[in-house]
Amino acid sequence: MATFNFKRREIECKIVYYGPGRCGKTTNLEYIFKTYKKQVSGEMVSIDTEGDRTLFFDFLPMGLGKIKGCDVKVQLYTVPGQVQYSSTRKLVLKEVDGVVFVADSLEVRREKNMLSLKDLHENLKSYGSSIFKIPLVMQYNKRDLEEEGIPLMPIAQMEHDLNRQLKAPSHAAAAINGQGVAKTITDCLKLTLLHLQKELKWAK
Amino acid sequence: MGAAAQIKTLLKEADLYQQQGLLNEAKERYKKATEILKANADIANGQELIKSIVKKVVALNQAINRINDATTKPEVSGQKQDLIKNLFSGVREGDGGQRDLEGAIALAKFGQFDRALSEFDRLLADNTVRVAAAKNIIRCCIELEDLDQAVKRFAAWVKDDGFKDSELKKIRFFLDNRLRNLDHDCTLPERTPVLEVEDIEVDHQASDKTSEGPAGFVDEVEAESVDFDSELELHEEEFLDINSVGIQLPAGGPKGQMFEFDVSFQTGNSINLIIPSTEKTLLKELKAGTKLPEMQFFSPIAILNGSGVVTSKTRIKSGPKEGDYSLDITILTT
Repeated sequence: MATFNFKRREIECKIVYYGPGRCGKTTNLEYIFKTYKKQVSGEMVSIDTEGDRTLFFDFLPMGLGKIKGCDVKVQLYTVPGQVQYSSTRKLVLKEVDGVVFVADSLEVRREKNMLSLKDLHENLKSYGSSIFKIPLVMQYNKRDLEEEGIPLMPIAQMEHDLNRQLKAPSHAAAAINGQGVAKTITDCLKLTLLHLQKELKWAK
Repeated sequence: MGAAAQIKTLLKEADLYQQQGLLNEAKERYKKATEILKANADIANGQELIKSIVKKVVALNQAINRINDATTKPEVSGQKQDLIKNLFSGVREGDGGQRDLEGAIALAKFGQFDRALSEFDRLLADNTVRVAAAKNIIRCCIELEDLDQAVKRFAAWVKDDGFKDSELKKIRFFLDNRLRNLDHDCTLPERTPVLEVEDIEVDHQASDKTSEGPAGFVDEVEAESVDFDSELELHEEEFLDINSVGIQLPAGGPKGQMFEFDVSFQTGNSINLIIPSTEKTLLKELKAGTKLPEMQFFSPIAILNGSGVVTSKTRIKSGPKEGDYSLDITILTT
């Protein structure tokens, strides 16, 4: 849950990048860190392990400046994607305000995407939240690999698999070269701040 | 596509999956390529290619094993532990003891047990959080699978004068309950009780503090699977004795049906029920974290409507109730 300091007119919210292992969650944060230096308000912290897999979480603090008279701060997190880190994933998701679901476009990862989305649904439910209500943006990552001749899922199929019911805003992306990264986070921030504005009435 | 072209494609995909860190997918591609090579003995340099693939698969297996064998929650640097404490303590402002407790709990949740234990130990000196700190020390010992150490710590608290009898009673109940759930048979030591007349005022203050607890605490109890929590529990006398409860499923089960169960035991706002293994619909729906917005509580003097949250669900492994489930529920509102 976001914190709103009425006295200082300061709002702080939490966005979590979720998705299966090796889908590119950390790559998204790395790109944001190196590209949007003006808005990044601290170091990006990563705790990774064998083969660069995220072990606990990545963390990137940002400051968006004044929006409707409020100083808006955002904390970006990634969760560990591997199945065995389920308890850590749940911990990181606690009190989340907005979610970016990063799906892997590789055909061989189709099932993993669906399992991860289901896992997100279950974890949100356990916190009394809902995947249908939380600000959510889908990102179909690794579209650049099409050029390598590797079988990718068509966007339409990914939409059908993952977004048929949710109808969340979605973006094709290649986080490795920044394509779609900004659109994704911008959409998620917009949705999250609108949602918080309704909940906390901070912009009035 | 001819066999040679198929093999070329498979090897290219395997190489790319490996670069992506998708080791199992890479291995799968190498296996397929090997099968095609074996079925097409006429392919030039086929045997050489198989040998080279075998080497790659061996290396992949080693990498996969390294990942699978790696501990999921290794100790991290002090700096990163500080970050975990700050980001996940759930309390940003206010009371120092509560904030420190939440920070230590966050460390324990992330598997940083050595540091968490030393912080919980320090918090034993703080009147406002020492019972919660003691319970979390026990939880750490249980997580570290050192039940004997949990019992030893409790025995030491029984011997020294750090805890009041009423506090020890709570810790004892907590430990006893956990040990029983783990089928660990042992008799916990008891302290000879003394009258605590001078503590009445202190108790009252502690109670006030508890009820004002920070907003994060409520979420903690409602949402977690209760591995670690900061339960600054309400005093037992604030709750009526509940003999049985009615549970209506929030979703999934027959709409409107109320399932009734006897309460096995109760401490304050926590109750324990035994759910027979035959109640399959109910058991499927009830998990740690499940909110129960529609509950009825039957006490000898009143029937109350309220809500609760399932804090743990454990399968009973031995005894006459073997196969049934022990369910802990925290009452949220009545």
